[in-house]
Amino acid sequence: MRRHLNILEFALSSLWRRKFKNMGLVIVFALIVFVLSSILLLTHAFKREAVLILKGAPELIVQRIKAGRHDFIATDYMRAIEQMPGVGRVIPRYWGYYYDPSTRGNYTVIALYDGLTSSLDMLEGDFPAVGSRGTCAIGRGVADARVTGIGGRIPLLGEDGRLYQFTVTGIFRAESAIVTNDLIVLTPEDFREVFMMPGGSATDIVVEVYNPAEVANVARKIKERFPDTRPITRKEILRTYDTLFDWRSGLILTMFGGAVLAFVILAWDKATGLSAEERREIGILKAIGWETADIMELKFWEGFVIASLSFLSGLAAGYVHIFFFGASLFSPALKGWSVIYPEFHLMPTVNPYQISVLLFLTVIPYMAATIVPSWKAAITDPDVIMRG
Amino acid sequence: MEYIITTEDVTRAINRGRANEIWPVRGVTIDIPPGAITIIKGPSGSGKTTLLSLIGCMSRPTSGRITVRGRDVAKLPERFLNEIRRNTFGFIFQQFNLIQGISVEENIMLPLYPAGTPYRDIKRRCLTLMERLGLMERRKFRAQGLSGGEQQRVAIARALINNPDIILADEPTAHLDTRLSSELVEILKDLRREGRTIVIATHDPLIYGGDFVDGIIEMRDGRVIDR
Repeated sequence: MRRHLNILEFALSSLWRRKFKNMGLVIVFALIVFVLSSILLLTHAFKREAVLILKGAPELIVQRIKAGRHDFIATDYMRAIEQMPGVGRVIPRYWGYYYDPSTRGNYTVIALYDGLTSSLDMLEGDFPAVGSRGTCAIGRGVADARVTGIGGRIPLLGEDGRLYQFTVTGIFRAESAIVTNDLIVLTPEDFREVFMMPGGSATDIVVEVYNPAEVANVARKIKERFPDTRPITRKEILRTYDTLFDWRSGLILTMFGGAVLAFVILAWDKATGLSAEERREIGILKAIGWETADIMELKFWEGFVIASLSFLSGLAAGYVHIFFFGASLFSPALKGWSVIYPEFHLMPTVNPYQISVLLFLTVIPYMAATIVPSWKAAITDPDVIMRG
Repeated sequence: MEYIITTEDVTRAINRGRANEIWPVRGVTIDIPPGAITIIKGPSGSGKTTLLSLIGCMSRPTSGRITVRGRDVAKLPERFLNEIRRNTFGFIFQQFNLIQGISVEENIMLPLYPAGTPYRDIKRRCLTLMERLGLMERRKFRAQGLSGGEQQRVAIARALINNPDIILADEPTAHLDTRLSSELVEILKDLRREGRTIVIATHDPLIYGGDFVDGIIEMRDGRVIDR
């Protein structure tokens, strides 16, 4: 134990001796970890948001397609779908987007339906009562953006040009910040009035399927029966989100490819040789009685301190960047159009698998790059090293 | 007489089998008595340093036999060779070979770090040696800030920290003036009085011509030409 402590102490003293060189190394290394961890954390956080959003989402949604675009669906379709084997309840949904110029936010407005309330966690008050008029419940983000609370009023400009005022009856939050922030819940009657929805139509239809294994079958049957519809399963949405964010993180990785390449060159430079001074020092240590294993341990500690310091500071900076500063450096590329959402903060989340991958991609190559040339120098006879 | 170091027909090749192959030591047979100052004398390139590194277990002979206190060390695995080097020998190098950027104190203590000796004991031994060699005022100085004589004394202190029986010195006066060389000779004589064996590779007449020398081995072109 004493031996290890003595060697560790000398390793720290050696690092301090070359403090400027090592600090430069730590900064470059930490910067790479910062970029890579930011990308991984952000992508993972978005995917997690998507999973959370979809957790409360229906297994199957049916939309109507007109000229390749989403159109209102006739509620008549519901009766035919209801009669299909394996199908439970069929519910119409009313939802749309509303751009609020005063807060420069894009809100999602949705009418109350069975199943919506279970995915939202009411913080204060309650959802609008069934059949009531002029009331709404809002997400915390909307409440913050509009600086309002229970009893406050939310004005919405209707498509008929009239200004509708809604009294806030409840404020909710959800596991996903994206859902919490931009949602306004109205009663179906108010929704239809504000958005001038034609009678007998809905935005889309939620279909309950008793057996989750039958969802794809039911979707196929609906498509066969109503060729102008597009049944969307929850799995499909999740897959789309995954592909989207994987593609976007790939885009960012390409952008920062130069930085990654610089690090690889740095590691390669370390791997291909030691400085004359380092070789001389290894020779001296061997000549005064240090074993190859002692020198390996010394170099291991040196590499370990640099790598762990860089990794932890890079990771911590990445975490702060993503979850406290809203990924300000590259969120435009990853969030895309969502920049017009009310500002939101991602739920802090860390995926141990991704951290391990990052660790293996950065720390392990660096440690190997540090230790291998030292080992090569240390197994040589000390007099050969010292003669140069 | 029981010799502390013996070599039998020792040769050493460098870059063997390549175009730049050289044989700095060829068929050397010598005996070194314990508690004596033995000089290995010869011009540059005569093989003195290589022979010193062979008997100090810093490199292995290509052929031949080397014994230290009767134990054949030529074919020992590295671990045992290191152990012998650490416990038996103290080295004083021509270039001093101090580690730059660390203090005098740390340079002296360095050989004992991997030995597992308690830090308190290492420190105590170091202080004793610094006191003896007049280095107390320089203990916190960095190696590169010392004069040639001071660096030499630090190298001697480092060679003595493990309390070795044998001191090997390679051209120890190469970077010292006459006064400092004489100081070094006094230190070496002191060490001999303590019963230590001293082997010095040198071509400095001040050393090999001194009356304190117990034996001289003369080398040229890798061979012993006179003993």
